[in-house]
Amino acid sequence: MLNSIILSYTTFVYFAAFMFYLLGMVMNREILARIGTFASLIGLLAQTVAIILRWVESYNIGAGHAPLSNLYESLVFFAWTLMLLYMIVEWRTKNRTFGTFITPLAFLAMAYASFSPNISSHIQPLIPALKSNWLISHVITCFFGYAAFALSFSLSLMYLLKRLDSEERNNIFLRLIPGLRILDDLNYQMIVVGFLMLTLGIITGAVWAHSAWGTYWSWDPKETWSLITWFIYASVIHSRMVRGWKGKRIAILSIIGFACVLFTYFGVNYLAGLHSYAK
Amino acid sequence: MEIPYLISNFQFRHPVSYSTTVHFGKSVNLSMKDANILNHNLELQDPSIYVIGQNAFIGSASTKSLTPAQTLSVGFFNFFFFKAIIMVKSKSENRSNIIWGFFSSVKLTIVLLIILAIVSIVGTLVPQEQGAAEFARRLNPAMLQIFTSLDLFDMYHSIWFRLLMGCLAMNLIICSVDRFPAAWKRFTLRPEPDRTKPFDNLPPEQSFLAQGTPEETANKVNKLLQSRYKKIRKKEVGANRFFYGERGNYSLFGVYLVHLSVLLILVGSLVGSFFGFDAYVNILAGEQIDTVMLRKTMKPLKLEFTVRCDKFTVDFYENGSPKEYRSDLSFLVNGKEVAKENLLVNHPVEFMGITFYQANYGSAPGKTVHLKISDNTAQSSIADMKVEAGRSIALPGGEGKFKVTDVRGDIMKMGPAVLISVQPNQGKPVDFWVFKHGEMARKMLPEPMLKSPKFNPSVFKPYTFSLDGLETKYYTGLQVNRDPGVSIVWIGCFFMIAGLFVTFFLSHKRIWVHLLRTDQGIEIRAAGMANKNPVGLQRELEHLTNDLKGLFGKKG
Ligand code: HEM
Repeated sequence: MLNSIILSYTTFVYFAAFMFYLLGMVMNREILARIGTFASLIGLLAQTVAIILRWVESYNIGAGHAPLSNLYESLVFFAWTLMLLYMIVEWRTKNRTFGTFITPLAFLAMAYASFSPNISSHIQPLIPALKSNWLISHVITCFFGYAAFALSFSLSLMYLLKRLDSEERNNIFLRLIPGLRILDDLNYQMIVVGFLMLTLGIITGAVWAHSAWGTYWSWDPKETWSLITWFIYASVIHSRMVRGWKGKRIAILSIIGFACVLFTYFGVNYLAGLHSYAK
Repeated sequence: MEIPYLISNFQFRHPVSYSTTVHFGKSVNLSMKDANILNHNLELQDPSIYVIGQNAFIGSASTKSLTPAQTLSVGFFNFFFFKAIIMVKSKSENRSNIIWGFFSSVKLTIVLLIILAIVSIVGTLVPQEQGAAEFARRLNPAMLQIFTSLDLFDMYHSIWFRLLMGCLAMNLIICSVDRFPAAWKRFTLRPEPDRTKPFDNLPPEQSFLAQGTPEETANKVNKLLQSRYKKIRKKEVGANRFFYGERGNYSLFGVYLVHLSVLLILVGSLVGSFFGFDAYVNILAGEQIDTVMLRKTMKPLKLEFTVRCDKFTVDFYENGSPKEYRSDLSFLVNGKEVAKENLLVNHPVEFMGITFYQANYGSAPGKTVHLKISDNTAQSSIADMKVEAGRSIALPGGEGKFKVTDVRGDIMKMGPAVLISVQPNQGKPVDFWVFKHGEMARKMLPEPMLKSPKFNPSVFKPYTFSLDGLETKYYTGLQVNRDPGVSIVWIGCFFMIAGLFVTFFLSHKRIWVHLLRTDQGIEIRAAGMANKNPVGLQRELEHLTNDLKGLFGKKG
């Protein structure tokens, strides 16, 4: 199908973007990073087109639904939200070094979706329980949340790297990473956006579960893991209020939080539960 | 280490046992060791008094009857309790009440959130409730003992998990009460218009010169500020004019909204678990029910009305998976039909405070049974009939009557079977099971059952009964709930979103505009302060200065 062909090409475009961003930093050439931005934009555009095509195609084969219903579609959507958010951050901060740390995540998500033998790119019809606008809002908000947390994760890595920077070391790569204050502020902003989105995601999920099964909360492993993630980020937000909890500790907590996000997303499939992605 | 303490004022009730006695003014010698016992072993004589600093704690007799899980959770609680007391005590000597100090700490919040995260992880690794039996079988007895006594198979409903949630709620309430006065003060505070502190390090683009009389200029500025800010304050000192205004002061309460929402959600879920129920029922198409099965206790619950499933329909996709299923339900009160509703997945139906959800469906044997009766002597089939369960039918030779008294879709994995009861003209009735797959059943049945006449389809001479088939019917599987707490939960969710939005994206901005008379004209300068989002404040100030410049015919 055309959409999955475009999507598998997008994977390479994101990889190219990553390479340009990286080379731009290592060689200290702004022009390379600019090409990286250009590649990212092309990739994002192609991906948007492919997602719309896939949506239309699903209607043509009589299984019409928004392309958010299985692991393949969710990974694609995750990469899309990540790149979209990243483009906004790049545009707002006018700094391209973030790209080196964020595009590989989008590339990995797309590569996993397109090339893993366990993931089918077929459009599958929806079982009745999944036909719900609440579910669509649930998936969209959750994935925006995940994308914001992924950004925060990258920013945390940058923060920890930047701490290694010093006069004596004189490393171009480290020198180009923005200052600690900027990283920390941006990191916190991403956590805040992610937290709001995750909260919305958990709530819309609860509303959906309530209309489908009659219980808004059933402690199913995926639900519980999203709550765990929520607890972790809530503690990050509060730890800001305790003096001295800035920078490094926030970065570390954010990395732990992102590990929880990943587990909520993939790890839970190895535990039993209601959420049937990848089964 | 023996440290004598004096009980001066008692301020704490043990969190688990509420039947405590308080002793005032008694001098008791206690050691730290005694206090520590609380962590490990609650079997103490009553009343036992534990003293730390100036405060006493009282254990109680009822602790003896605690289950291991409760004991542990109390120990758990106390561990943090003592830890935190020491922590808080060293920090805030001025706090008269240790408990208050303990629960108003944001450090506790972080610790609690992280503990909740960690124990929830345990709950996802250990199968809960239904899944637990399989897992439990693989554990050795000692481990099983530990797991069950800690309620690990139903962790999220265990007392210690609720206690943790309770601590979080307590933390929230006390923290909010503790800080509310300060927020209120900031809310009502109206700072002096002529404060100069905000103007320290003022960037040059935030001031400019204007021409005109002080009155004129002041009026223009005043009008602009009035249209944009609240709580405007003015001050005149000689020819100088000072203005103060603010915006977003309500955002100070966003945090309280968020915290209130957490409490509402907790309260709503408690209300649901105390006053609601969670049940299910299967209804065969065409039949009606008035009782449902409670999931938790597996006990039937009688409803105040009757539900009939008039029709059940299911559509399939080409690949065979279900596309949509639907039950047409009628609700009857005292035999009278009151309402008719179509129930679909994701579209629940409510009737008299009870909500019905289309959960699943399946097929079950209906009432019609296809039977064959052969005569053992003639070796041929002499009757081939469709029989309705429960109705008496004459035997082919007129020796009596028989009826089908039970119809099963599957018995012990041996396929469909019916229970037939033959009533001869004289004598006692004879009951026996007839399997559809008689041969298979004979191989699978254990020896004693094989010999029993109950499993012999030829027991009533001279006939042999055989089962050709059952008519199957769809049944609809309904989830039946009542949850009076759910609206509280939704209100809580709404508050949470609104509160988070306010706290994260709105800020309390305070603006000062000073008009200073100088030799060259009137210098207008604007400065501000915000409780967060300095970038937003900067933008707002730029915007404001531009508009002020516009008032005086200057390009921004
Ligand atoms: C469990 C769910 C909780 C959530 C979702 C939550 C959420 C929040 C949020 C969003 C903020 C605002 C952070 C900011 O200004 O950027 C906040 C602040 C705060 N929270 Fe919580 N909180 C929770 C529990 C608690 C608890 C149990 C306490 C108990 C003490 C607490 C104490 C505070 C305090 C003191 C602040 C700072 C308020 C201020 O700025 O004056 N929170 N919380």
